Parts: sequence; structure tokens; C-alpha cells
Amino acid sequence: MIVGILIVVIIIAGVASYYFYSTQNPALKDTLIMGTTDSVESCLDPARAYDFFGFEIVQSLGSPLVEYKADATGSIDDIIPALATSWDVSADGLTWTFNLRQGVMFDSEREFTADDVKYTFDRGIGIADPDGAFVGVGIGDIIDSVTVVSDYVVKFQLKIPFAAFLSLMAFQACYIVDPQYAPMAGSSWSIDDIVLYEDGNPRGSNPMALGPYTLKSWTRVAGKDTEMTLEANPLYWNAGAGYPKTKTINIVFYADSSGLALAITAGDVDVAFRQLATNDIATMKTNPDLKVWEGTGAFIQYLCLQQKNAPFDNPTIRGAVATAIDRTALVDTVFQGQAQELYSMIPIGMFGHTEAFKVLGDPNYTLTRELLALFGYNENNKLSFKLWYETSGHYPQSPQQALVLKDSLEASGVISVTLESRDWAAYRTARQEEIMQAYILGWYPDYIDPDDYIFPFVHSTGGSWIHHNYANPQMDNLIEWARGNTTSAARQSLYSQIGDLMVQDIPIIPLYQGGAYAVSRTNVEGIYLDITQNWRHWLVYAKQ
Amino acid sequence: MIFILLTTVFLIMRVLPGDPVLLHFEKMENPELIAAMRIRLGLDKPLPIQYFEYLFGLFRGDLGISMQDYSPIGQQIFSAFPATLELAIFSMTIAVLIGVLLGVESSKSYNSPKDHVVRLFGIVTYAIPVFFLGMILQIIFGVWLHWLPVGGRTFQTMAPTGLNFGDLHFSTGLYTIDSLFEGNIIKLGTSLKYLFLPSLTLGLVLCGPFIRLTRSNMFETLRLDFVTAAKARGLKDSTVTYGYALRNAFLPVLTMMGLQFALLLGGAVLTETTFSWPGLGRYLIDRINFRDYTAIQGVVVVFGLFVSFVSLGIDLLYAYLDPRIRL
Repeated sequence: MIVGILIVVIIIAGVASYYFYSTQNPALKDTLIMGTTDSVESCLDPARAYDFFGFEIVQSLGSPLVEYKADATGSIDDIIPALATSWDVSADGLTWTFNLRQGVMFDSEREFTADDVKYTFDRGIGIADPDGAFVGVGIGDIIDSVTVVSDYVVKFQLKIPFAAFLSLMAFQACYIVDPQYAPMAGSSWSIDDIVLYEDGNPRGSNPMALGPYTLKSWTRVAGKDTEMTLEANPLYWNAGAGYPKTKTINIVFYADSSGLALAITAGDVDVAFRQLATNDIATMKTNPDLKVWEGTGAFIQYLCLQQKNAPFDNPTIRGAVATAIDRTALVDTVFQGQAQELYSMIPIGMFGHTEAFKVLGDPNYTLTRELLALFGYNENNKLSFKLWYETSGHYPQSPQQALVLKDSLEASGVISVTLESRDWAAYRTARQEEIMQAYILGWYPDYIDPDDYIFPFVHSTGGSWIHHNYANPQMDNLIEWARGNTTSAARQSLYSQIGDLMVQDIPIIPLYQGGAYAVSRTNVEGIYLDITQNWRHWLVYAKQ
Repeated sequence: MIFILLTTVFLIMRVLPGDPVLLHFEKMENPELIAAMRIRLGLDKPLPIQYFEYLFGLFRGDLGISMQDYSPIGQQIFSAFPATLELAIFSMTIAVLIGVLLGVESSKSYNSPKDHVVRLFGIVTYAIPVFFLGMILQIIFGVWLHWLPVGGRTFQTMAPTGLNFGDLHFSTGLYTIDSLFEGNIIKLGTSLKYLFLPSLTLGLVLCGPFIRLTRSNMFETLRLDFVTAAKARGLKDSTVTYGYALRNAFLPVLTMMGLQFALLLGGAVLTETTFSWPGLGRYLIDRINFRDYTAIQGVVVVFGLFVSFVSLGIDLLYAYLDPRIRL
């Protein structure tokens, strides 16, 4: 009897403790296989890397001064300490001081200090690689100098007050490099100092350190990745908190979205991220073996109108076109609801977003006809123009987008659209030559701040690369005040005024904001798809 | 021939709209930096100078640097070439095996239902787009049956190292051969597993002409006197068909193999994309999108040389098999 009770108690205790243990500490897989259609575009040196996947790996191998927490909304409050534990900004917004984390070790077991921060920024600005983000974003036009105050204090002197500076510090181009693996060859920095891929030498193929992972293997064939393995970095400054969650990440590369979709469906990979086709994602939502992760996208697309010539030199005619855009049809037909209608250049969910363009209707064909009638356009004399789009997959489903936009514009009865297409290389040249009347472009953010969605588009110098020939001194002033003002309320008000002025001038027409999607097997957890677009390998794990 | 091919590609690339320099400046434009990039890529020089510089480089074995990522083109091409070569060899083997076997069987059952089915099979596989057939096979063998991987060249950590003998290291880049050199049967099995679907796809698409050619040649050969005489001597049917008749009917098939190699390389471009096979076909597509002039020229030269060497090899083999055409 006693023995029987004892056995029952032991069994109950065993089951209870197993249940408690398994819910508290589920056994995790050591290795995760991730599939992607991406590839590192050129290299893993933050002085040159300027592509989505390159940045994804840079941020897995390195650390910045500050970073965005998972599930960030882009607010300044979402920025958390990384290699810097605290920071201060001077009243004029020109001096930023960072107090650095102590005891952080490179893999050579040398301690990280302020000298490494100075080295990283002096190097990036000094190399000034035209392919890299230091030139692309103009970091050298923002930072004047970096000064080492002490081993653990570093000071940035800026050329201009720049409200998005913290956000810029979280940007992958600003991740700290290990000077040992990023040396200066000559007497000054040059493009030849960029760390390039070296076959069979993963450590020498990247200058990163201090991150959650190290690069265990990396193989490229003909300029494309064919194999990559990330291994947990035991010296990671946040290893004590249990990161990274998965010891080894194997990355498998697919040539196109259909190959990736088949691989995740067949179970060849645990996670599929970038790029899956809209149709495949819709199908996978009904597959019980798969989990579809949906998040906020920061990618936007917009319509540009060439303003140096008639008819789009006239803001009212540009406004008429804006009133005839059916964004809902675009989102529902082309993206099957996997995108959102966008009524402002600043994306939904980001500080500074307004629905400014909504006043023009969605669409409002009565207003379209009224506005165009002012210039003699009607059913018998339609406003005719060419709408250009690219065809090499540089942007998602461009041909379908162009068709829906044409239908939407022509439904007004007073607009006639002819479609014209080029592959990306020819499209890029056509943009430079300013021969396109209306053309669709897209944007992935660099740093997560409204400034990165306004300055490069409607500022007379910042937006010159678009070649739409828009310039308004009032707009320039508003943008410069907004990017220099460190008060959130003031910036919010300025971005609201910018939105209103955009509706008045119609320099550009926002279309939609893309969603962010990943697909995994059902045992995978820890995927965060937020507006930062950061893929955090170190948070992802799979239960056994 | 290679020279004409190269010159044509050189000129066509320069005429096509799209500037490789501008592709380095997507989000920013600075005239000084653009001019510097043009100098860096050698595109500031007059076209004839660019052309002759490229030719001189080529004669020295220098294919130039990539206009997209500045890597040496020779290195990039020769890192991808073994994958394409391995796919080509296995695809051609499958195409010839299926084509010849079905062609022989079809000729022996002339105008029978079996003949009609084989002919239909040949037409369908020839007409079907290679990427479509590839996806069907991926769904059947990868997604439904889970027998074979849907893409890639081998599993991570399973890439063979080749022959390692003390300090001596030798690898061909052909994973099947390197696995054998390494003496690793598991790696050989893995390589074959990854190679099977893309090879089968391309092999099926290419087998149609071999079926038709073998069928028509065998049909005539089987009615010749020497075949009747062999049969009359009581030789086994398989010996007469494969040992006597097929040997005679095989010469046009051999010629066709040479011609099909060019088609095979064209098909490899799509097959490599469908199966994420890291070969020259995918490389070419990528580089066309980047207007990477030097890379495109380099691939065309290599493809041209490859087809020329295969044709030469076929001619030599032809002479070996048919003593009448030896000098």
C-alpha cells in the first residue's frame, strides 16, 4: 500500500516536474536552417555594404552604440543601449556624448574602447566609398569629428543639428568594426581598404566583431552566396542574458521566390525570409505545418511626375492625377491585402505619419474631372501621358502595379495612360535622362526616422536624385527645421505642415506601404518583424 | 568564330540602354563621384580603346574586373563553371540514354501504339518549358514525396574537398568527382541527390531530338541487309539491335550531341535558376541585369569556347567511330 502510494507520488512529481521544466525551458534546437533569395551584394564591410542581406549579416556579426528593441515602432523611446550604456546631447544639438559599456571583448580578447568607435567612423568617412552608406546617406556631411574623451567616453561633433542622430547610430553602416580586421593599408584611407570576400577565410572576409554571432563559413560562387553559417559568439556582451537563442544558423540560398516557397513547404528550411511571392504567402496561411509571420513594413512605393515639362509642371494637374489613384484596388488586387494604402511619404506606424493625401480622395473622380476641366481636359480631350515601370523585379510586382494604376486613372474618364517598361538598368538611365513623364519608384529606409522619408524626396538638393525637378524654398525650410529640431512635439508639427504642403504642391504621390512577411515551421519562435526591418537572428529559436 | 561572337556582344552591350555606372548610385547622385566611377570602370575611354584594351587583356588571359562588385571576372567565372559543366554532363548523359533507348524501342515497334506513345513523349518533353517541368518535378519529388531537395548544389558542410594527399590538394569543382577523390560515399550520395532533379529536368527537355533521330535512323538501319544477315545467323535480338544496328545509327546522334550542347547551355540558364544551381547560367542573368559588360563578355567567351571544344571532341570521336572519315 505504502509502496503503491510512493510510486504514484513519484510519477505525479515526475510528470509535474517534466511539465514545469518543459514549459519553462523547452528544449531548443541547436541549429536552425534559414532560406532566402537574398545574397550579400558586395561585401560585409559596413563602409561599403548597402543592401538588405548584407546589413542583416553585419548586424548579426557586430554591434552598434545603440539599437532598436524588438517590436520597435520607430519612436526614439524604442532605442536601447548596446555598446553605449547612456548618452547626452548638447542644447544646440551639435554634440553627442556616449558612455561606453566596459568589459566588452573582441575575439582577440582585447577590450573594446572609445578608440574603436573613433576608428570606425574615421574609417567609414575617410574611405567614402560611393557604393556605401557613408556616402549614400551623407554621414560625412552630418558628423564633423569623433573625439575620444576617455577609454569609455566618446564625443561626436556634428556639422548640423541632426535630430535623427541616435537612429543613425543604430543604422548598420555605423556598427563598430574590429581594427585588427579592418586595417589601413597605406598612409590614408582609400577604397582599397574595404574588406572583401576571401574564399576559404570567413574571418578575414569581414571586419565585424562584438556581435551575437561569428561567421563560421561563407562561400560565394560567381558573386552570389551559396552557403553561410553563423556560430554563436561566446564573447558577445549580451551572452549572459541568453543570446543568441540558437547556437548555429545555417543559411541556404535560393535563386527565386518559387524555389524558396517549395523549400519551406517541403521542410528543407525552418524559416523563409525574403522574398516570398504574394500568392505563395496566401497559400501558406492555410498550411497547418507552417506559420506565417506578419509585421510592419517600412518599404514604400510612390509615383513621381516629371515637373520640368507640361503637363506636370502644373501642381493642379498633378493634383488631378493624385485624386484618381485607387490605392485600395492596388493593395487588394496586386498584393492581396499584404500591403497598406499610404497617404503620406512617412509610413504608417512611424512618428510624423499623417493621412495628408486622403483629402484628395481614394479616388475622387468628380474632383479629377473638375480639376482637369480647368485646363480643357474632358472625355473628348483626355489628359494623356506615359506611365513607366521597371520589369526586372527590382520592386515587387511592378507590371501588375502599373496595370492597376492605369485602370484606376483611366476610370476617371478624362485620363488616358500608355504603359512603358524597361528593365532596371535601362529604367535607372531613363530616370537620369528625365525622359519619363510618370514613373514608379520605391524606398527602403536607411535610418528609422521621418527625415529619411522626406529629405531624400522633396528637399531641393536631397531629392535631386529622383529627377522629378521639384523645388520649393518653403518646403526646404520646413525640412531643415524638422531635421535639426530635437523636440518631438515641434518635429511632429513640422512634419504635419510638410504633409499639408505636399498635398498643395503634389511633388510626389505616395501609393502603398509594403508588409513584412516571414514563414516558418510551426516550432519556430522569436521572429520580430517591425518597422526597423531588422532581422534579428539572435532572437529566433526552434523547439525540438 | 569566338572573336566575332565577342565583338558582337561587346557592341550590343554598349548599344543597350542602361549604364553600369549609374547602377552604383541608386539613392544618391554626385557628378564628381559618377565621373570617378566611370574612370574606375574604364568607361571614360573611347569605345575603340575600350575594345582593344579588352582584347589585349583577353589574350593575356585577363577577363577584367566586374563592373558591379569589382571582383576579377576570371575568378568568378571559374568558380561557377564546374557547376554548369557537371550539370551539362549529367543532363546530356540522361538525354542520350533516354533518347536512344526510347528511339530504339520506338523504331522496333514502328507505327504501333508504343511507337506513338514514345513519339508523343518526345514531342511533349521537347515542347515543355524547362522551368515548368522543373517545378513539376520539384513538387512531386521534393514537396510531396520528400525524396529529393528542391534546390541547391549540396547540403551545408557536405561540399567535397577533393583529393588531399599530404600537402597535395586537388579538386575539380565537380562535386561527384571530388567526392570520389575524397573517398566519401556519403558526400557522393548527397551530391547525386542534389544533382538528380536538375539533370533529369534538362535531360528530359533535351531527349526529344535524340528520340526522333534514333528512331528514324534505326528504322532504316534495321531494314539493311547486314542486319537481316545477322538475324539469319541466329544472333540474339538485343545483340543485333544494340551491337550492330545502333552502332551504325549512332553517328548522327553523336553529331546531334554536339549541336545540342549549345541548346543545353541555353537551357541551363533557366534550369539553374529553377533549382538555385550556382552555375554560369544564373551568373549571366544576374550580370545582364547589372549591365556588367565585362562579366557578360567573359561568360560569352567561355560558353563559346566550351561549345567549340565539345564540337571538336565530337568530331574526333566521330572519326574514331567511323573509320571511313579518317584521313
